[in-house]
Amino acid sequence: MSREKDAANYAIAFFAVLSVLLLLFPSSKIAHTVRIAASYTLYPSLHYGARYGYFVRNVPANFLALFETDQENRSLKNKIRELEVKLLNSSAVVSENDRLAREMRLSRALPWAGSWARVVNKTPADWYGSFFIDKGSDDGIGVNDTVLGMQDERAGLAGRVFEVYPRFSKVLLITNSAASAVCAIAPTGLEALVEGKGTWLLKVNYVPEESALTEGAEIATAPGGLLFPAGVPVGKVGKVYPRESFMNFITADVTPVVNINTLKEVFVVRRNLPQEVTAAAQDNEQAAANRR
Amino acid sequence: MTIILEIFLYLASGSFYWWWTQNFAFFGLAPNFIFAAALSAAILAGPVKAVAWGFFLGLYADMLGISMFGGYALTYSLMAYAVYVVKRHFDMDSLFSQLVAALSLSWLCMLFYQGLSLSFFKINPIGIKIFLAEPFLNALAVPVVFQVFYQLKRRFEIL
Repeated sequence: MSREKDAANYAIAFFAVLSVLLLLFPSSKIAHTVRIAASYTLYPSLHYGARYGYFVRNVPANFLALFETDQENRSLKNKIRELEVKLLNSSAVVSENDRLAREMRLSRALPWAGSWARVVNKTPADWYGSFFIDKGSDDGIGVNDTVLGMQDERAGLAGRVFEVYPRFSKVLLITNSAASAVCAIAPTGLEALVEGKGTWLLKVNYVPEESALTEGAEIATAPGGLLFPAGVPVGKVGKVYPRESFMNFITADVTPVVNINTLKEVFVVRRNLPQEVTAAAQDNEQAAANRR
Repeated sequence: MTIILEIFLYLASGSFYWWWTQNFAFFGLAPNFIFAAALSAAILAGPVKAVAWGFFLGLYADMLGISMFGGYALTYSLMAYAVYVVKRHFDMDSLFSQLVAALSLSWLCMLFYQGLSLSFFKINPIGIKIFLAEPFLNALAVPVVFQVFYQLKRRFEIL
């Protein structure tokens, strides 16, 4: 007990002297240095205490803000996704609008009456043979109506309506191996038969061997053909083949004016041909096909 | 390990007092938790440690103030010694004795500090409002702080 009392006395004497010294020399260098050192030791705890208090006070508000930000972020992401889809659609619509405007301008200059139709279905197995359009008998489309495509600011022969349903129709393309058209070759107006080959190229046939068929000559439908109106551009003469020894006419490849692969819309020319005429024409075509 | 916990408790006591005064001061009044911590430590700890706690907590209080560096250190050191003397005759663990000790020692400490301040710097640092109200707030705070320190002493054998 006495030792404890002695220790207590020594302790109080030591700390009291220390305190008095601090009191006596508050601005002395040593006291000032001690105070600064102690401040550096103690004030960080105050600093972090303040920060801790700030965060504790603001936890509900921070959590709410975080929650709201997360919700906002999600809705903004969805909105961005929707806008991206809309942007894609609108760019497609803009390009379609440009194309349609160009085609409408062209169709007004055409000498034939008709209506526009959209290509709705192509069959991979019959790529150069046929496709469907979204207009049918309800829209006044008839069998053997001429189908024109627009390319490079000009109209060209794409085919003719082959089957008609109320809401859609099937188009037999000029590139179909069963399709043909009586055409005139510029500049002489020599008539010949242009036939499809089932590929992207056409073939001009039955050209007399003495005629001057040159590469690049333009071919358009001839007045002699019944199925198509006269003067519709069909293509340009490509490679001219020499006469075969057993034949007395020459043939040539024809590059179509219209690229079937790029067609999105077509212009269907109303023909209103008498049924007898179309039947006869189809018979002629069938006969020609059989000869091949 | 014990010394680390004691340092942590020391810093926590000072920081808590500072935080309380920053956020919960009512008309400029707040319980003096540093005083409460010094008194609780004085009751619970041995004499040397009690005086040391008083000195260092007083130093912390001096650090928070701007004048008379060392005044609170001396005051709380002497208070710890006084508690050491008194607790040999009275049971300081009871609530009533803590309330009485808190009230009386608060006033005594204030008067002593006031006297020191007037002696050394000729300034009066304690207003009448604090002089009249703070001892009662301290009397409320001391039993709470004492319980906290008591539990810490039981669990971690500090003080």
